[in-house]
Amino acid sequence: MITLRINGLDVTVEKGTTVLEAARFLGFPIPTLCHMEGLSPYGACRLCVVEIGQEPRTRLVSSCTYPAEEGLKVRTASARVLKARKMILELLLASCPQSKIIQDLASAHGIRTQRFKQEHEDCILCGLCVRMCEEQMMAKAIGFRNRGEKRSIGTPFDVKSDACRQCGGCIYVCPACQLRCTYAEPEKAICGGCANLSPPCVEKEPFDDMMCYMDPCVACEIDKKIDKR
Amino acid sequence: MQQLSSIGELRELRSVLFDAADENKPRIVVCAGTACQASGSNVIVRAAKRHIIEKGLVGKVALAITGCHGFCEMGPFVLTEPQQAFYAQVGFDDIPRIIDALLSGEYVEELLYKDPATGQRYYKRDDIPFFKNQRRSILSLNQKIDPIRVFDYIAQGGYIALESVLSQRDPHGVVQEVKRSGLRGRGGGGFPTGAKWEMLARESGRGGKFLVCNADEGDPGAYMDRSILEGNPHSIIEGMLIGAYGTGASQGIVYVRAEYPVAVKHLNIALEQARRLGLLGEHVLGTDFSFDMTMVKGAGAFVCGEETALIRSIQGKMGEPRQRPPFPVQKGIEGKPTSINNVETWANVPLIFRLGADKFAQVGTENNAGTKIFSLVGKVKNTGLVEVPMGTRIKEIVYEIGGGAVGKARIKAIQTGGPSGGCIPSDMFDLPVDYDSLAKAGSIMGSGGMIVMDDNTCMVDVARYFMNFLKEESCGKCFTCRKGTQRMHEILEDISRGKATLKHLDLLQELAEVVKDTTMCGLGQTASNPVLSTLRYFRHEYERHVIDKKCDAFVCKDLVGAPCQAACPLGTEAWRYVALIEKGEYVEAYKVIREANPFPSVCARVCDRKCETRCSHAVSGGEAIAVRSLKRFVTDSVAPEVYVAPRIHVNGGASSVAVVGAGPAGLAAAHYLSLYGHKVTLIEAEKEPGGMLMSCIPSYRLPREVLRKEIQSLLDPSITVRCGTAFGRDITVDELFKDVFKAVFLAIGADKSYRLELEGEDVKGVYSSMQMLKAFNLRGDEVARGRVGIIGGGNSAVDAARVAIRQKGVDNVTLLYRRTSQEMPAYAEEIEAALEEGIALETLVSPVKIRYMEAARSEGVRVETFVSPIKIDTRHGHLADIRCIRNSLGEVDASGRRRPVPIPGSEFTIPLDTLIVAIGERPDSDCLAPMGLEMTKSGTLRVNAETLAASRPGVFAGGDLVTGPNTVVDAIAAGKKAAYMIDRYVRGKELKGLPETKMPKFFMDPPAVSDADAEEAVRAEPVTLPAASRRKNTAEVEMALSAEAAIREARRCLRCDLDFTRPREDSENACSVKGKSA
Repeated sequence: MITLRINGLDVTVEKGTTVLEAARFLGFPIPTLCHMEGLSPYGACRLCVVEIGQEPRTRLVSSCTYPAEEGLKVRTASARVLKARKMILELLLASCPQSKIIQDLASAHGIRTQRFKQEHEDCILCGLCVRMCEEQMMAKAIGFRNRGEKRSIGTPFDVKSDACRQCGGCIYVCPACQLRCTYAEPEKAICGGCANLSPPCVEKEPFDDMMCYMDPCVACEIDKKIDKR
Repeated sequence: MQQLSSIGELRELRSVLFDAADENKPRIVVCAGTACQASGSNVIVRAAKRHIIEKGLVGKVALAITGCHGFCEMGPFVLTEPQQAFYAQVGFDDIPRIIDALLSGEYVEELLYKDPATGQRYYKRDDIPFFKNQRRSILSLNQKIDPIRVFDYIAQGGYIALESVLSQRDPHGVVQEVKRSGLRGRGGGGFPTGAKWEMLARESGRGGKFLVCNADEGDPGAYMDRSILEGNPHSIIEGMLIGAYGTGASQGIVYVRAEYPVAVKHLNIALEQARRLGLLGEHVLGTDFSFDMTMVKGAGAFVCGEETALIRSIQGKMGEPRQRPPFPVQKGIEGKPTSINNVETWANVPLIFRLGADKFAQVGTENNAGTKIFSLVGKVKNTGLVEVPMGTRIKEIVYEIGGGAVGKARIKAIQTGGPSGGCIPSDMFDLPVDYDSLAKAGSIMGSGGMIVMDDNTCMVDVARYFMNFLKEESCGKCFTCRKGTQRMHEILEDISRGKATLKHLDLLQELAEVVKDTTMCGLGQTASNPVLSTLRYFRHEYERHVIDKKCDAFVCKDLVGAPCQAACPLGTEAWRYVALIEKGEYVEAYKVIREANPFPSVCARVCDRKCETRCSHAVSGGEAIAVRSLKRFVTDSVAPEVYVAPRIHVNGGASSVAVVGAGPAGLAAAHYLSLYGHKVTLIEAEKEPGGMLMSCIPSYRLPREVLRKEIQSLLDPSITVRCGTAFGRDITVDELFKDVFKAVFLAIGADKSYRLELEGEDVKGVYSSMQMLKAFNLRGDEVARGRVGIIGGGNSAVDAARVAIRQKGVDNVTLLYRRTSQEMPAYAEEIEAALEEGIALETLVSPVKIRYMEAARSEGVRVETFVSPIKIDTRHGHLADIRCIRNSLGEVDASGRRRPVPIPGSEFTIPLDTLIVAIGERPDSDCLAPMGLEMTKSGTLRVNAETLAASRPGVFAGGDLVTGPNTVVDAIAAGKKAAYMIDRYVRGKELKGLPETKMPKFFMDPPAVSDADAEEAVRAEPVTLPAASRRKNTAEVEMALSAEAAIREARRCLRCDLDFTRPREDSENACSVKGKSA
C-alpha cells in the first residue's frame, strides 16, 4: 500500500493506483476529457494536470497517468494548475466550441470567451474512440495517423475497415463529435446506423445487443419487424 | 580478418599495427564527411588517386579518406601530413601541385588557408584560429581514421579502453569510474551518465537489459552526431561495450536516422568488422562477457529523439512519448531495463578510460566535465563543428573560433539547442556554455546546435520558423503541445504580418508558459523556449512589429513590401523606376524618382544606397541591383523639366517660415514648404546654398554645376535666400520669431570635427577633415603638402584622402585606421577607389602622439623633408611625424565590432608633413542651449522623433543637427518630413506622423527572363575614369551607364513588388477547374 498526500489529506491506496483515482477517491474534482474508466490511461487532454512535489521544485503532471508514489505531495487546484486548466479550456473552446461537454467544463471554470481565432473542429484527438475500439471492442479498426498538426483518427488509408463491426462505441465515448452524430453527411459518419434504413449493424452475425451503445437506435427493432413481415 | 580470441591477441595486433605505422610518411588526408562530399571531395579523392597511380607514387605518398574534420565552411579541403598544411576549398586541378609540394617538403602558398579578416596565410593547420582555439579530444580522431578500416582505429589506440576494462576492472568499478568522471548526457538533458548506468546496473537483468545509442539527430543545423558516426563508428561500439560490461546489458541498439546514409553504411561496416574480430557477440575477446549490437533506422520524426518515443519506435510502434515514471531504466524496450545515451556521450566513454576519470574531469568546469561539440552555423564567418571544453564563453566560440560577423552586420544573438532551445542576446555572450548557465538564461544545451544571428535576422521570424517546425514535429498526443504550438505559430504569423496587437503578445506569453508547464515530454516542455526567450530578450522587436508595424531586419514580407522601397528614407519606388527603365520609359522613370526625391541628380551620385543593401539579390548572397547607377542613368538622360512639382492648394493659413541652414535638409524643407504655399526665408552661413553637399563632398564625386543646377531648380519666388548669415552669430531664434516668422526649421548640420585630444594637435600641418575639405571645396585652397596622413575610417576620411591626392603639393597619402579595413564605416567602393588612386591604407593602427619637429629631432628621428608651414609659428615648429601603435582585435564592444587593443612595444613612426584628423563630426551647437533648446549629451538637438519638434514651440529641427553626421538621403527625408509637420503646425493642425511603409501598388508586367539568362547576368558597374588620369584634377570619376547596360541591369531585378501588385489569378477559372475534377 502507498500513502500520498493530496491537498493536505493523506490517502492510502494500492500500488498501481493513479493520482487521479486517489484524488477522486477523496472527492477532489479533477476535470478530464480523455479519461474513462475501463480504458487505459492516456494523458492526452492535459485537463487533469495536478501540481506535484515540494515547493519550490514542483511540476505539473497529468494525474490520470501518474502513478501514486509513497510520500508524494499533490495539489489539485493550485493557482498554477488552475491557470493551466483555464488556458487548456480556452484552447478547447477555440477549436471545438460546439461540444456540450467542453462548453460545460469551460462554464464551470468561468471561461466565457476565448482569445484565439475561432475554429470548428469535430475532433480533439483525445483518443477515447481508439482505445474503446481496441480495448473494449477488440476491433482495432481505427487508430491515429500522422503527427503534429496533421494528426488524425481513422482507418488505415481511409478505407472502410473489415475489422469494424460498426458498433458505434467510438461515437458513444466521443466528447466532441456530437455534430458527427447528426448524420448531416452520412458518408462521413463512421456508423450512421440510426439514420440508415437498412442499418449495416444487423447484417453482421457476431454483433449482439450487449455490445451496442447506440441507444436509442432502433435499427434492430425495425429490422426484426421487417423480418417478421 | 582473424577472430581475436583473447585480450592478448588484440594487444599483439595493435603493436603490429603500431610498428607498421610511420608518422613521418607523407600522407594526404581528404575529408569525405557529408558536407565535404557535397562540396566535391569525391572528385578530389579521385584526382589524388589518379595522380598517385599515374606518377608511380604508390608507396611514397599515402592517401587517407576520413570523416568530418569540422571546418565545413572550407570544404573540400586537403590536409597534408606530416606538414600539417591545410589547403582550403581546393579544386580538381590543385591536387597534383599539392602532392608534388608535399613530396618535396614545400607548400602551395596560394592554396593555403587565408584568414579572411587579416589576409594572413597559415602553414600549419593548428595555427588557424578556427582550430587553435578548440580542444578537440573527440573530433581529433576523425582526421586520423578511415572510418571503414577498423585497423586504423586500433592503431590509434582504439579498443585500449575496452582492453583495460575487461582485464582490470569489475563492472561496479566501471560504473564508478564514469560517475567520477562527471560525464553528463550530451543529448541535451545533461543527466549524469554514471548515475544512469548505476540505476541500470541495479535493475535485475534476468530478462536481459538494453543499451541504446540515440543517433536520431533532428535539430536543424546540428550534425555532430552524424560526424562522429560517419567518421569514427568504432568509438561508439567501444563505448557501448564498456557500458554493457559495467551495467550488465546484453543487447545494444543504435537508433540512427535513415536520412544519414553514410553514417548507416559506416556503422554497418564497423559492426560487421567488430563481430568478425570477436569484439561483439558471444564471449567478447574470449572472456565470459557477451554483448551484441544491432542498428535500427528511424524514419525521421523529431519526437523520436525523446526516450520513450524512441523506445516505441524501436518496437515498431508510432513514435509517441508516454508518461514517466516508469523510466526507461525500469521499463524500456519490451518492458526490460534500458539505458539510452547520445552518440557523443558514447564517444566520450572510451576517452574516460583511456585518460582516467580524474584527468577527464580536469577539462571543463565543475559539474560540467569534458568537451562538447557544437555545430556553429548561421551568420558567422567560420561555420563548422567546434569542440571546446565545457564552460567556454559564447564570445570565444563566436568571435575567436567563428571569426565574428559576416560583412558589416552586427551579431545580435545566438540560438542554442535547436528548435526547443532559446536565443541569447549578444550582450550576454560572456555566458559560459554549460548545461546550467544556458538553462538559467532560458535556453538549453540541446544536442549542441548554435545558430548565430545578426541584424538581418528578425527574431519574430526566428520564433515563427521554429514554431512552424515544432507544430509539424509535435507527435500530437498532448493537446497543449499540438494545439499550443499551432496557436503560437498562428499568433507569430499574425505578428509578422502586422495584424497583431499588444494583447496578442500577452496571450502568446501566457500560452507559451502553459504549454511549457502542461505537456508530457521534453519536446512540448521546451517548445515554448523560442518564443519565451525571444520575448524576454527581444520584446522591443515584437513591439516594433505590433505597434509600428515595422520589421527592422527586412524579413517579414508583409511589413516590408519591396525591400528597396522600404529601405529608402524617402520611400522612393526603386522597383518601379527599375521596371520602367527596363521598358525604356525613361521619362516616366524620372518622374517616379523626382516625385519622392527633390535631389535626384545628387542622390544618383552620393546616396549611400540603402536600397541596394536590402536588395533581395544582396540578401540572398548575390549582387544587388545597381539602383544608384540606374538612377544616374535616368537623371543623365532626362531633362528635369519633365517633372513639375504639384502645388498643394490650401485656402488660407499661409505663413512665413525661416529655414536655417541651406544643406540638403534645409533645401528640401524650403522646397516643400513653398509647395504647401508658405513664404520661406532660407538662411545660410556660407556664400552659397548647398551645405555639406557643397563644402564637404568633393567635386569629383558631385560636380558643382550639377549641384548648382539642382539647387536652383528647387528655389522659387516664394523662397528668399540669405547667404552669409551665421546662425547664433548674426541671428537668433528669438529674433526670427520677433520678425515675421511663425515657425523655424533648424538644419545647421554637423561640421565641427572631433579632436584626437593629443598633445601637439594644434601645431601647423594638422587639420581637421572639415577644415581641409572646406578650404578646398569652397575656396580652392590646397592645404595638404608632401606626405599626408589621415586618421579615420569614415567617408570624410576617405574624401579627405582622395581630395589630398588631387592637390598639387602632395607626394603620397596614407590612411590610418585603428580597426581592419572590413570595419571601416566608409563606403567600400570609395575605399576601393582611394586604393586605386594610390592611397596607402594602414589598418589596426592608432596614433599615440604627434611630435613636434624639435621633439622629433631631439629623439634622433631622421626627418626627410621639411615643408614650409602655411603660417610660420615661431614658438612651435611644424608637424614632423606621428607615432603610431599597432593594434590587434580584441573583444567585441557595444557597437558589435571587435575593439582594437594596442600591442605593447609595437610603436612605429610615420613621417608626415600634413595630418588630417577625420575621426568624426558633431553639430556646432553651442549657441543653441542659450536659446532655450534642449540638447543631448553628444551635442545634438533633442527633438520628438515623430514630429521633429524641438523643446521650444514653433522650432523644428532635422538633418545632421539631430542625428549627428548622417547621409544625404536621411537629411532630405528629414527636411521633407519637417515641411509636412511645420505646415500642420502653422495651420494649427495636430502634429501627426506621415503614413509610413508604402506597399507597392502599381502592377507592371515583369520581363520574360529565362533561367539561363538570369544565372549569367552580372551586376552592371559604371565605368570610372582611369586612376592615372584622376590625380591632380577634380574631373568626375564615375560615368553613367549606357542605355544598353542599364536595361540589362534592370532586367536582373527580382521584382519583389509583384508579390503585392500581381493581379490575383483568375479566380473563376481556378474554381471551375476544381469543380470539374471533383
